[in-house]
Amino acid sequence: MLQYIARRLMVAIPMLLGAMSIVFFAMRVLPGDPCVAMMGDQATSGALADCTKNLGLDRPLAVQYVDYLWRSLRFDFGNSLRQGYPVSDYIGRMFPHTFILVMASAIVAALVGIPIGIVSALKRRNPLIDYPLRIIALLGLSMPVFWLGILLLIVFSLRFDLFPLIGGGDLDGVLAMVGSGEIFSQPRDFLAAVGDVLHHLTLPALALGFTLAATVSRLSRSAMLEVISQDYIRTARAKGQRERLVVYKHALRNMLVPLLTIIGIFVAIALTGTVLTETVFTRPGLGKMLVDAIGARDYPLAQGAITVFTMTIIVVNLVVDMLYAVVDPRITYR
Amino acid sequence: MALVRRADPVDLLLPGAGEGSRAASRGRLRRWLPIGIGLAMAVIMIVVAAAAPLIAPLSPSAQFSDSVLKGPGAIERHLLGTDEFGRDILSRIIWGARVSLEVGLASVLFAFVLGVPLGIVAGVRGGRVETAIMRCADMLMAFPTLLLALIIVTALGGTLLNEILAIGVALTPNFLRLARSLALTIREQDYILAARALGGGQLRVMARHVFPNTVYALVVVATLYIATAIRTEAGLSFLGLGIPPPTPSWGNILSEGRQYIKCCPWITTFSGLAIMVAVLAFNLVGDALRDLLDPRLKGE
Repeated sequence: MLQYIARRLMVAIPMLLGAMSIVFFAMRVLPGDPCVAMMGDQATSGALADCTKNLGLDRPLAVQYVDYLWRSLRFDFGNSLRQGYPVSDYIGRMFPHTFILVMASAIVAALVGIPIGIVSALKRRNPLIDYPLRIIALLGLSMPVFWLGILLLIVFSLRFDLFPLIGGGDLDGVLAMVGSGEIFSQPRDFLAAVGDVLHHLTLPALALGFTLAATVSRLSRSAMLEVISQDYIRTARAKGQRERLVVYKHALRNMLVPLLTIIGIFVAIALTGTVLTETVFTRPGLGKMLVDAIGARDYPLAQGAITVFTMTIIVVNLVVDMLYAVVDPRITYR
Repeated sequence: MALVRRADPVDLLLPGAGEGSRAASRGRLRRWLPIGIGLAMAVIMIVVAAAAPLIAPLSPSAQFSDSVLKGPGAIERHLLGTDEFGRDILSRIIWGARVSLEVGLASVLFAFVLGVPLGIVAGVRGGRVETAIMRCADMLMAFPTLLLALIIVTALGGTLLNEILAIGVALTPNFLRLARSLALTIREQDYILAARALGGGQLRVMARHVFPNTVYALVVVATLYIATAIRTEAGLSFLGLGIPPPTPSWGNILSEGRQYIKCCPWITTFSGLAIMVAVLAFNLVGDALRDLLDPRLKGE
């Protein structure tokens, strides 16, 4: 087990370094001078030279690269060109918004996608059940999250005025209340603030969750098909066990390993989805921060956001691979 | 009682001739109907995109100051309404099909041409060559398609060629990994051994024997990736990083229409619908082809 984890780490570290290198060099070939972007076209050459020196852009590229890697490992991504605050502070403030969106959409996707996938696999010979379910999955897969988001806004925010059009609620306030212990002294205020956050979260989570449910249902269907074609399922049926028991006792439990794969794929798709979802719903978060940073040519902020996205995906995949070895001892790294 | 009445096993196992042929034709219909529908939709899309100058009722950039933000059917010449500059939505969607399909097809072709040979080389050669190629692919795989395409397009600028390049590069590792896994299986086959025994060089074996045996599965996957590429292009354009206006693309029509969802939801509704139909078409074809080839579903 330890050898497996060590070997998996040996693969993940170069992958992380490679991904971070791609981010660094991509940001260095971006058109436009960061200092001009920050100070405007009217800045004097002296001021621009000072800015270039302050940002460390006058140093050799190799030195900047090593510096970036070293700082990134300590989550130090420099200061935002526009706002002047440390990028890591921004990321720290935005991360909870993205995190709760991913979690809420995961719940929606799991509640919708896994049952659809399982039923679709078990009832694949019954076109009256399988076909509608697969059509729903295909529609979800084909529907861009930004379009579904807009449709939800049109119906539930503009037409029926049930949900807010923009924003993410006062999540910072909720977290501050948790940190300061006001959660116990002022439980009503806390619940109201949580309610407000959930109110803002509902439509984005539904939009992202529904599009993700399509992927989850297809992966669940595949996983179920894989499991029910195994010999032990045939054996269970051959010994006369009822179908319900075969499914609940044998098939569902053994779906755990293939379902773990879903988590890795899910996080990657969900994080990408947050870029579009947060933009549609004008919701604070890492995704919107990235889009705004690119638009404003705020390179350190964009670099920091992309690095955090990539790191998260690599770390989640690493953890998932390790979980494989825990839930299925037959798996070894080759 | 059911226990007393014994069924004739012949009746159970062999349905009547008419019943059997009906079941067979139902099975065929189940398999080929989604492919047929998907192919028809995809062909219609491609024809519409290719014949945009002939089909589009108006120029996509023509502005009509007397019909700004008019709904579908409000003015006879604008079937799907107009946008904030009085431009005809239907014409813009028809012309937008060109960008989406060009990017969708060309980026998948780019990924195929780059990824498949590298994957086959990695699978057949093995050793350090395989390790080097696969580690590079793993690095790119760490980025989700949209994120990698977003980085590349941001670095290079939002033009048609750059979008194709960005999405193509982002999709390349998928083709590379699949081609490698197919090559790993194929290289163990007897006919590869025979080809080598007959003096076939490694390059010749890869080109004449390994590649043709991977094409079938790769084309199926390519169909699904066209859908991914179209969706990614729309996403980039929606974020304002794709082809800049006034050139119409479904993503930028939708993005521009976002500001007017309160008064004029038709702009976003129809452009989004176009994206969904295009993605659905290629998903239907790819999905049905994949099911057709899935050994677990054989005989069902």
